[in-house]
Amino acid sequence: MNCEKFELPIALYVEGDLTSVEACAVELHLAACESCREFAVEMRASQAALKMLRNEYVDASAFEQVRVNVLAARSRSWRSVAWPRYAIAAGIVIALLSGWLMRRQADHTVVGVQSVHPILPAPPSQPVIQPRQPKVLAARVRRRPRRQAPRFKSEPLVVKMITDDPQVVIYWLVDQNGG
Amino acid sequence: MREQYISIEGMQELALLMVIDCADAQESEFARLVRQAKAGDAAAFEAILCQSERRVLLTAMRLLNGNVEDAKDAAQQVFLRLHRSLSRLDTNRNFASWLYRITVNVCRDMLRGRARRPVVPLEDAGHCATAGRAEDAMLRDEQMRLIYAALGTLSEHERAAIVLRDLEGISTAEVARILESSEATVRSQISYARVKIRKFVDRQQKRHL
Repeated sequence: MNCEKFELPIALYVEGDLTSVEACAVELHLAACESCREFAVEMRASQAALKMLRNEYVDASAFEQVRVNVLAARSRSWRSVAWPRYAIAAGIVIALLSGWLMRRQADHTVVGVQSVHPILPAPPSQPVIQPRQPKVLAARVRRRPRRQAPRFKSEPLVVKMITDDPQVVIYWLVDQNGG
Repeated sequence: MREQYISIEGMQELALLMVIDCADAQESEFARLVRQAKAGDAAAFEAILCQSERRVLLTAMRLLNGNVEDAKDAAQQVFLRLHRSLSRLDTNRNFASWLYRITVNVCRDMLRGRARRPVVPLEDAGHCATAGRAEDAMLRDEQMRLIYAALGTLSEHERAAIVLRDLEGISTAEVARILESSEATVRSQISYARVKIRKFVDRQQKRHL
C-alpha cells in the first residue's frame, strides 16, 4: 500500500488540525494500515518532544536586560527626537517676544508724542523739534477710499399756489430731473 | 471514589488553554495600556513591556535556534519598533497578533542578516535550561538540542508556522493572519514541518542506537 500521501494528513491529524471529514478518512486508513499507525505513534512522540520547548526556562536576568536596554534606548531616541522640536519652539518664542517688544517700543513713541507735547510746549527761543513719526505707525494707517454718495434721482418739487379764494389751493409737482 | 489521571501532555494542553483564555482576557487590558502609551504615558509602555517580554523573548529564541543572546537583541528591536509604531497602532486590532508578527519579521531579518555565518544551536545552555534535577536537566537539555537542531532544518516559513502553532498554541487561522498568508498554505507548512521534525528525530535516534 502506498502510504506516503497519508504522511501529511497524519501529521495534521495527531494534533487535531483536520476537519471531521478529513479526520474520518485518516482514521479509516489507520484502521487498515499498520505502518501508518506506527507512523502516527512516532509522530505523536516527536510532537511531544517538540512541545518540551514550552517548558524552557530562561533566566530572569535576560528579561531584565531586555527591559533595561529598551527603556534606555527609548529615552535616548526620545531625547534625540525631542531637541529639534525644543529648538524650533524656542525660536518661535524668541521671534514672537522680539516682535512684541518692538511693537511695544513703537507704541510708546507714539503715545509720548501725543501726550507730552501739548503739556510741555517748547520755549519760544528754541526751535521746535518735530518728533519723528515712526514708520510703523505710518504703515499702519491706511487710507480708506472715499465713498461716493450714491446718485439718487431727486424727489419732485411740490409748489403750492394760493389763490384769493382760500378754498382754492393749487399744488404743482415739478420733476427736477428735467421732467 | 474514582480517581482520574491526566498525562503530562494533557496537563500541558490544559495549561496552554488556560494561558490562551487569559490572553484573550488580557487583550482588552492591553488595548487600554496601548491607548495610554499612545497618549505618552511612560508607565503604560513599561507595563506593556513587562507583560509581553516573556512571550516575545521565548518566541524569538525558538525562531533563532535557541540562541538567547540573539533572542534578546530581537526582543529589544521588537519593543523599540513597538515604541516607534505606537502612534499608528490600531487599538481595535489584536495586539498579541501584531506583536507576534513583528517578532517573526525581526527574527527573519536577523536570520537573513547572519545567513553567511554558521548557526550554533543552544550552545549556551547556562542561560537556557529546564528546571529539575541535574541528571534530568542534562537529559532534557540534550533533547532540546535535538529539537532545536530539528527546527534548524526547516525553512523560515515552516519554522515560523510550527513555532506559532505548536509552541505558542495559536490557531491555524490566526497563524495565517500573523504570517499574512492563507490558511491552506500554513496548514501545508505545518504538516511538512512536523514530518521533517519526526524524520530528523528518527534519524538521530537511530544514529545513537
